[in-house]
Amino acid sequence: MTAIKLENVYYAYEADEGEKPVNAVDGVSLEVEEGSFVAVVGHNGSGKSTLARLFNGLLLPDSGSVTVFGMDTKDEKQIYSIRSSVGMVFQNPDNQMVASVVEDDIAFGPENLGLPRDEIIRRVDRALEQVGMSEYRKSTPFRMSGGQKQRLAIAGVLAIRPKVIVLDESTAMLDPKGRREVMDVIHALNKEEKMTVIHITHYMEEVQEAERVIVMDGGKIAVDDTPRAVFARGEQLKKYKISPPAVTLMADALADCGADIARDIATEEELEDAICRLLCKD
Amino acid sequence: MRDIAFGQYYPVSSPVHRLDPRLKIIFTLMYIVTMFFVASYFGYALVLCFLLTVCAVAHVPPKAMFKSIKGIIVLLIITAILNLFFYAGEASVEWTWWIFTVSPEAIDFALKMMFRLILLIMGTTILTFTTGTSELTDAIESLFKPLNLIKIPVRDIALIMSIALRFIPGLIEETDKIMMAQKARGADMESGNIFKKIKAMLPVIIPVFVSAFRKADELADALDARCYQASPKRTKMKKMSFAWRDLIAFLIFAAFVAIIFLDKYLWGGLDGYIVQAFQSLMG
Ligand SMILES: Nc1ncnc2c1ncn2[C@@H]1O[C@H](COP(=O)(O)OP(=O)(O)O)[C@@H](O)[C@H]1O
Ligand SMILES: [Mg+2]
Repeated sequence: MTAIKLENVYYAYEADEGEKPVNAVDGVSLEVEEGSFVAVVGHNGSGKSTLARLFNGLLLPDSGSVTVFGMDTKDEKQIYSIRSSVGMVFQNPDNQMVASVVEDDIAFGPENLGLPRDEIIRRVDRALEQVGMSEYRKSTPFRMSGGQKQRLAIAGVLAIRPKVIVLDESTAMLDPKGRREVMDVIHALNKEEKMTVIHITHYMEEVQEAERVIVMDGGKIAVDDTPRAVFARGEQLKKYKISPPAVTLMADALADCGADIARDIATEEELEDAICRLLCKD
Repeated sequence: MRDIAFGQYYPVSSPVHRLDPRLKIIFTLMYIVTMFFVASYFGYALVLCFLLTVCAVAHVPPKAMFKSIKGIIVLLIITAILNLFFYAGEASVEWTWWIFTVSPEAIDFALKMMFRLILLIMGTTILTFTTGTSELTDAIESLFKPLNLIKIPVRDIALIMSIALRFIPGLIEETDKIMMAQKARGADMESGNIFKKIKAMLPVIIPVFVSAFRKADELADALDARCYQASPKRTKMKKMSFAWRDLIAFLIFAAFVAIIFLDKYLWGGLDGYIVQAFQSLMG
């Protein structure tokens, strides 16, 4: 089933006086399959965050339509079903927390939905378990690491039981360990709970772990393919200000020098194998 | 985190933490009012003992309470100086040096004023030490529910207040960071008169504001994304209910307030008696 469907969507922010509004999202059509793991990349200002905010009705398209599980985001009556189907995690975990106690913060979403008390408690328990933070239930996020805080922000979103989770550069402010923690959590959600994940990021190692990559440029979708196929484009990616992972670049460079090596190598093991094979052949 | 203890929550389990948050808000308000009736040094000592006892019962280190006054130290010094030299009441003796005139009554007045401010801050921080912001929101909402009748959005106001409280430490930290960054670029914030100092603070204040607005933007999106206002009847995870514990706390608190009032109106400030007793002891 299609989770999110965009048809010819345009969106422009209000421009300063005397200036012409520029489309931040400029004619995007897109379908995201339920259960898939999609990475979105692109340089700053390419429209990724705007696109993300269109997914759950935080922004409404100027023209075109956004449908979430068959519901149009322009339909005011359904806006809260849409927002509870598409959870969203932002960049800075500190700016997403409303309460000073972990369990209170996670309960915020279910409380807003007007759920009964025991259901709220069940959901808080479950959400904490899903991100592996059950023992922090009564603590305060104040002194936690970035990775832990961001996992709590994810738990706060999980408690509204969304079917899709959108992460807008949620790993950008974290150290490598925190990034790994967050990536492990969202991969587990995707594999075990069949949750649809849309992950906006600048880190190519994270992109490689996705099933599909969307490259944004100037508010348009520039490329939409598997990570392998996208990275195989090598130098072409420069114009979108992204660069393939080091292993792919290395394979590319070897191929340029005439070595018989595939240009779409994505992992260290593959590169190792390919080089061994080359050496054995000689 | 460094020195800012104000607005911070101590995540431990204690009888004080478990008190009904509405009662704690009422206690805090009553405490603030009571502080203006403390008449003697005996009274201030009693208040301090009371606060230390509450800290002990709440498993909050008293150090945290004392730290909370660090932020107002400048204010304290300024008020103390003003009270000392611009004391307008009658004086038994006057000591004059150059343009400054000081009397024992002025010293007494300035000291009491300072104790009052210090104890006010220390007492009110106990509320935030022992009550989560979400509990505070619920309690304020519940206490001011009648205002809903005249169309005041109590829930929203309560949420705004508790979020503001949650963001204070972060903003102070941010101010510090920016200040250090400006100093690293050679900004001089310490020297010069007050106007020069204010001017030197501008490159700090503006980035802090910009950052605060950016935070507010993301927070607003985060609230919406988590279905804020989805249901007209918002439910709550934590029930607030009055327990035996609350009644006992109320009795203890009432006794404390009673002693302060007795000291002022019946005993006329115990200090006099204590001094007398001391003098007769000395012969
Ligand atoms: N709140 C806003 N008001 C006006 N313009 C904005 C706003 N947010 C983003 N833009 C503009 O829209 C474009 C797309 O921005 P954004 O979606 O944030 O890109 P990305 O997330 O890829 O960095 C940029 O040109 C940016 O300047
Ligand atoms: Mg962005």
